[in-house]
Amino acid sequence: MAKREPSINTENFTAVQLMEIDSCSRCGECVDWCPTYDASEKDPGLAPRDKILRWRDYINKSYGLRAKLFGPKEINEEDIEQFKDDVYGCTTCGMCATVCESAINTVELWESMRANLVKRGNGPFGKQGAFLKLIGEYKNPYMEDNKNRVNWFPDDVKVEDKAEVLYYGGCTAELKQRKLALATVRLLNKLGIKFTMLGEDEICCGSALIRTGQYFINDTAKINAQQNIDNIKAKGAKIVINACSGCYRASLIDWPRLTGQELPFKVMHITQFLQELIEKGEIEWKKSIDKKVTYHDPCHLGRHVGVFDPPRAVLNAIPGIELIEMERVEDNQRCCGAGGGVKAGIPDLALGVASTRVEDALATKAEVLSSACPFCKRNLSDGRDAIGAKELEVEDIVVLAAEAMGIDLSDTPE
Amino acid sequence: MALEYYSGLVIDGEILRISFVQFMIIANLAIGLFLVGMYINLKKWGMGSTAYGEAPAKSIMAFPKMLMYQMSERAHAHNQSVLETFIMDIVFQRRILQRNPVRWFMHFTIFFGWMALFLMSLLMFAVEMVHIGAGAIGLHTIEPEVMRQMLSLPNVIFSYILLTGIIIAIYRRLFLAKVREATIAYDSILLGGLTFITITGFLAYGLRNENFWGLGMDPLLAPPMALFHSITALLFCIAYIPYSKYIHMIAIPLALLANKGGE
Repeated sequence: MAKREPSINTENFTAVQLMEIDSCSRCGECVDWCPTYDASEKDPGLAPRDKILRWRDYINKSYGLRAKLFGPKEINEEDIEQFKDDVYGCTTCGMCATVCESAINTVELWESMRANLVKRGNGPFGKQGAFLKLIGEYKNPYMEDNKNRVNWFPDDVKVEDKAEVLYYGGCTAELKQRKLALATVRLLNKLGIKFTMLGEDEICCGSALIRTGQYFINDTAKINAQQNIDNIKAKGAKIVINACSGCYRASLIDWPRLTGQELPFKVMHITQFLQELIEKGEIEWKKSIDKKVTYHDPCHLGRHVGVFDPPRAVLNAIPGIELIEMERVEDNQRCCGAGGGVKAGIPDLALGVASTRVEDALATKAEVLSSACPFCKRNLSDGRDAIGAKELEVEDIVVLAAEAMGIDLSDTPE
Repeated sequence: MALEYYSGLVIDGEILRISFVQFMIIANLAIGLFLVGMYINLKKWGMGSTAYGEAPAKSIMAFPKMLMYQMSERAHAHNQSVLETFIMDIVFQRRILQRNPVRWFMHFTIFFGWMALFLMSLLMFAVEMVHIGAGAIGLHTIEPEVMRQMLSLPNVIFSYILLTGIIIAIYRRLFLAKVREATIAYDSILLGGLTFITITGFLAYGLRNENFWGLGMDPLLAPPMALFHSITALLFCIAYIPYSKYIHMIAIPLALLANKGGE
């Protein structure tokens, strides 16, 4: 009789990740802090601890002592399908990793589980399945002609053909939230920074594919990352600036991992770049904003990479802004709910998390909820609208900085 | 009648020989089971890759290779040294303290008590072995009885430290609704086993010294109780580690090292 094959395999897991699954002490800290578990009215399937327990059970049934002695034990397909749904009910915000007493790198673990389930034919979740086709065909996930990335810039915007500084705009800012892209380019122009952009040669950074476990299919994410790197090199750039935290994380961490090479340029978030200029006294503010502002740390900028101070330094430098912190900030920040493909796959869950974060902001009595990521801005705006908090303005730090520098953004196209 | 064992009881040559053989058989069995279990775990972990996105290595060397790679890799946000991770996160268990001081105290007393008792048992075993070996060739070493006496007070102190942690753990599992509702057999077996071993240790101690912990039982039961305690401790706390939640004692320090102390 042929030996039964395991119901699952270990594709896309590293050896250390398989060990980490055994290191969970089930303390429950991750459950207490998980934003999607909280927003789902405590659906036990979404609890990070429960996901690790279930995957450990699957691994042991397939490769543990019993499997060695008597062969792998079959796992019910319905259970695996339910598990897939639960693994995708996660924004990959990394709060569980921050509080994990065993120091499990949970974000990478969830992404490996997703990639494994995609390879197995279970994942991704809902509309996330379209990412690959859209990014492959359009080079962005919004079904937009890639020429539209920068062809809408007003005539006053000056982008060099080649320069040492390159602004990597990102799909969301260039195609959907153009106020941020326009604020960034006009701000750089006003500061006298000669910069270039990839324009229609820019390809999605791959964050959506990586976070949803689809990065390996056709090697799309790797090919795109390499193409972006090559295009950036061809522009002569030594510093790449991101105003999108998702792009920043992807280029800083995921591109070297995908391509297996160190980046030939420095990657900076725009707030890091501005902080340096502020410290050198090179920014001249023209206008006082005169508002109480609170700041939401994007997961991809804060917890994932550790950039907490630069956005605050920029906000504190803007005349008239009174920065009021929310109760949960920096390492303990509550996710906006948009990441990890949740906004596309499970919009109701994303909205629930965003609403809770907006309530955090409202509790500070701030007039503006700022962030440093267009994707956070989009979901927080949706959360604000969902709870009817019309009085709360949701705006990106770069836009606030541009306004304080006297830059007019009223001509931003829709 | 007295059954000699490493517990400081009356010496009787013949009985000593028999109990020694019994103990050594169990000790070797426990170590053997532990090694087999760890081999299976290493094989299981080795089903993973040695780099993100690569194909499964399916090699027992995959885990040590990936561990060394991660430990030597420069992290973007958390570049803590191995020494700091070892002292602050593995020994001092800082991450638990940051989250919950009560749970840290519970875990630290269990860890500290358990490790101290384990190391003192190893030391006593080594002294006995050296004494037997040296005696066979006519050399004089420290008498096991003297060493037993020296370790007597530390043994009592660390046993009470361990017991304190276990009592807090049991209280939490029974009376804190959130903890109780989340408890599964995987957790209960760990705590139950630890409690059982600790109680048999106190019983052996009480019978030997004819105090409260002997529960008024016949002191002649001391030797078999000591042997029973040692055997269950070996089977539960060594042999059973790779097959149960006890694996966290090995896996958590490894995860801390791999992730430079964590986020």
